[in-house]
Amino acid sequence: MKNSIISLLLLARRHRVATVLLFLLVFPFLMPYDALSVNILIFGLYAVGFNLLFGYTGMLSFGHAAFLGVGGYLAGIAVVHGGWPWWAAIVTGVAASCLAGVVIGYLAIRTRGIYFSMVTLALAQIMYYVFYKAEDWTGGENGLRGVRVESIKLPGLSIDFINPLNKYYVILVFVALALWFVSRILNSPFGAVIEAIRENEKRAAACGYDVARAKLLVFVLSAGICGLAGALRALHLSIVPIDSLHYLQSGQAVMMCLLGGMGTFFGPFVGAAVFMYLEDVVTNLTRYWMGAVGMVFMVFVLFFPKGIWGTLVHQMERWLRRQGDRA
Amino acid sequence: MFDITPQLFALQLMTGIALGAVYALLAIGLSLIFGMLTVVNFAHGAFFMVGAFLGIYSIALTGSFWFSLLLVPLATGAIGLVCERFLVRPLYGRGLDYPLLLTFGLSYVMIDVMRFTFGIEGLPTSTPPDLRGAVFLGFGYFPLYRLFLIAATAVIVLGLWLFIEKTRYGLIIRAGSRDPEIVKVLGIDIARVWWLVFGIGTAIAGLSGLLAAPTRAVNPEMGIPILAESFVVTVVGGMGSLPGAVVAGLLVGVVFSMTSLLAPEYAELSIFVLMAVVLLIRPQGFFGKAGLMS
Amino acid sequence: MSATPILEVRSVSRNFGKFRALNNISVSFRAGELTAIIGPNGAGKSTFFNVISGGVPPSEGQVLFEGRDITGIAPHDFARIGIAKSFQITNVFKQLSAFENVRVALQMRVTRFQLLRPRQAYGELVQRADALLARVGLTASRDKLAGDLAHGQQRSLEVAMALACDPKLLLMDEPTAGMSPEETTVMMDLIRQLAAERTVILVEHKMKLVMGLCKRLIVLHHGELLVDGNPDEIRANAEVKRVYLGQS
Repeated sequence: MKNSIISLLLLARRHRVATVLLFLLVFPFLMPYDALSVNILIFGLYAVGFNLLFGYTGMLSFGHAAFLGVGGYLAGIAVVHGGWPWWAAIVTGVAASCLAGVVIGYLAIRTRGIYFSMVTLALAQIMYYVFYKAEDWTGGENGLRGVRVESIKLPGLSIDFINPLNKYYVILVFVALALWFVSRILNSPFGAVIEAIRENEKRAAACGYDVARAKLLVFVLSAGICGLAGALRALHLSIVPIDSLHYLQSGQAVMMCLLGGMGTFFGPFVGAAVFMYLEDVVTNLTRYWMGAVGMVFMVFVLFFPKGIWGTLVHQMERWLRRQGDRA
Repeated sequence: MFDITPQLFALQLMTGIALGAVYALLAIGLSLIFGMLTVVNFAHGAFFMVGAFLGIYSIALTGSFWFSLLLVPLATGAIGLVCERFLVRPLYGRGLDYPLLLTFGLSYVMIDVMRFTFGIEGLPTSTPPDLRGAVFLGFGYFPLYRLFLIAATAVIVLGLWLFIEKTRYGLIIRAGSRDPEIVKVLGIDIARVWWLVFGIGTAIAGLSGLLAAPTRAVNPEMGIPILAESFVVTVVGGMGSLPGAVVAGLLVGVVFSMTSLLAPEYAELSIFVLMAVVLLIRPQGFFGKAGLMS
Repeated sequence: MSATPILEVRSVSRNFGKFRALNNISVSFRAGELTAIIGPNGAGKSTFFNVISGGVPPSEGQVLFEGRDITGIAPHDFARIGIAKSFQITNVFKQLSAFENVRVALQMRVTRFQLLRPRQAYGELVQRADALLARVGLTASRDKLAGDLAHGQQRSLEVAMALACDPKLLLMDEPTAGMSPEETTVMMDLIRQLAAERTVILVEHKMKLVMGLCKRLIVLHHGELLVDGNPDEIRANAEVKRVYLGQS
């Protein structure tokens, strides 16, 4: 019995993308209502993108809302002002957030450590004010409205995009692609480079790696994934709220990642699920959601820095190692 | 553009300096905490906000603005001391990101505590009776209160400078920020020093909130944009540098103020663009040390 | 042996604020030599090491490698042109296994920005990493976390990583610091072997060690070059005696 559990765990670890996707396939049936599942899926993707930078490379950015927001706004603008089809909107959103990643990344990477956190927050606020002011394009304070995609038209097939469950599975396709891509990156030689940078930047440079360039690349990749989440969110909500760009939205990515488990593959989804589910429950009980989540976050920072999934994985790895030593 | 007289220009400049004074105080508090503890206090805007609320409350309670000037920093300083001791200190061994993350969560709690205590609408503010009216400055009438703001900041900065440069405790602070090991070897409890510096930093933040209260809307969210703005000032001036905080604070205030006059659409944006430019040409800030964090 | 020195330091000075850590040092190193930089504490050995290894740029003067001016190049370029260093305070990737430490150091020469192929596809890196680990005697600790290794083993790992980029010039900052006598002997043998294949420059403060090891010693004092010669010359030199022992 124990041996089959061990084999199962090892199999799951080796095929992490498949394991996560299997879970995500059945996830809507575990949640009270489908719209919540869609939100968790989208914000899980947002957290995955952020985790690539924070959990795996060790760079704490407080400006990732810029990419969620730019992805959302540019996708929305493509639909509302350009009349473009849904897939072109998504591509536009991702491309725009990658570009924003290059610009913000280039400036921010001139700084390191906690200084970097400050700088990313401030640079992302530029995006907030720019999009706030550009009312004709973005709707200003009220957000960009009318991002209506009523059906996903594929050759020979038309999917009703109003039904939340349909939305979930369409979005899941993109999430699956993104997860596959992230997994490849982490397993690749470049993944080894960013690991090394996280562990010891100076050492990585002494080995001959151009740390600034590697950081910029992973920054842009991270921005692109968050941009994808933003674009999908725009299509899901049919509006892009101005708060998508505010640094509190960046803080949300940080919180979800830490809660779930940074530097783990599945942690960001766990974090997003816990965060959104909690928000749903708590806001029905009290108006002081911000205070509640702040307290929960502080508890995790102090006592459970590995996060829910991270702690579980850590314990599982230890158990597996002991079994391995015994065998 | 053509109806901007030199007088208007000068008055707007003065307004900028008054705004800059608040920014300078905020940045000083941030830089002190960063310089000593290597902690970026993400709750700094929240302490500013709490200072504003406590200020209004204290003025209502005691009837005296002047007394509140003493009371409020003591209160926010005390809150800071408690937070450092029980929330931040346990995290020092763990890596520089953790105290930062903790203060971020703390800011959320502080905002909702204020909402709970004072309501979500915020409180109405008014200029203290002693400081109402305007003063003629040769080129126009300027609010007395804002003049007071500038003067008060100058006094506080001077007092701080004297404290840090001339007193024994200030020497310990300076030494500690350069090499905590040496301070430990000399038998001084570095944890105590950090604790007190954190308290001083949050006291200054609260004081700047009180001073700024009559000039802006006081609500639980007021600290949110302030945090971003104080980061701009510290990046421009150089993290950990007190002269940098003052110079950059005044510069940012003036840039904001003048842009409000000449191109109002771009006022908020202008200070962030300033920061971006500084990052391009001198990432450590005007007075910052290269290689410290860049 | 070519006429161009492999490393040339020309009139190099380094200031830290008002403090002049290095003052107008000029020295050349020929390929294949094993040289030690020695001197009492505060002599500027570490600063000199940092200048020639990419840790800090000189305030004045130039550094030339194989005739090319490398003054002020980026730290990551040093490994690429063939200069590798091992740090004074052990600086390995603590949370990675010993094997991965060496593998990632080796990977630099082969691929840096490959995003899609898995690491395991690069089989030759695995073999070479194992070979390097064997060379420094760490095969048994291959899968242990580098942070869990004994101090001497971590130093050996550092050497393995330095060798990973196949350097022409190997710089070692106090390689035997904190090692037991047995570990020190092992390290010294390794250094002797390495010196037969490449140019090695050591910074050391253990005089006895380097006397038996190196044919050339350079003594620094107060940031200046005091004496440059072989062990006998150094031993006989009155200046050196004075500086180390306070005798006149």
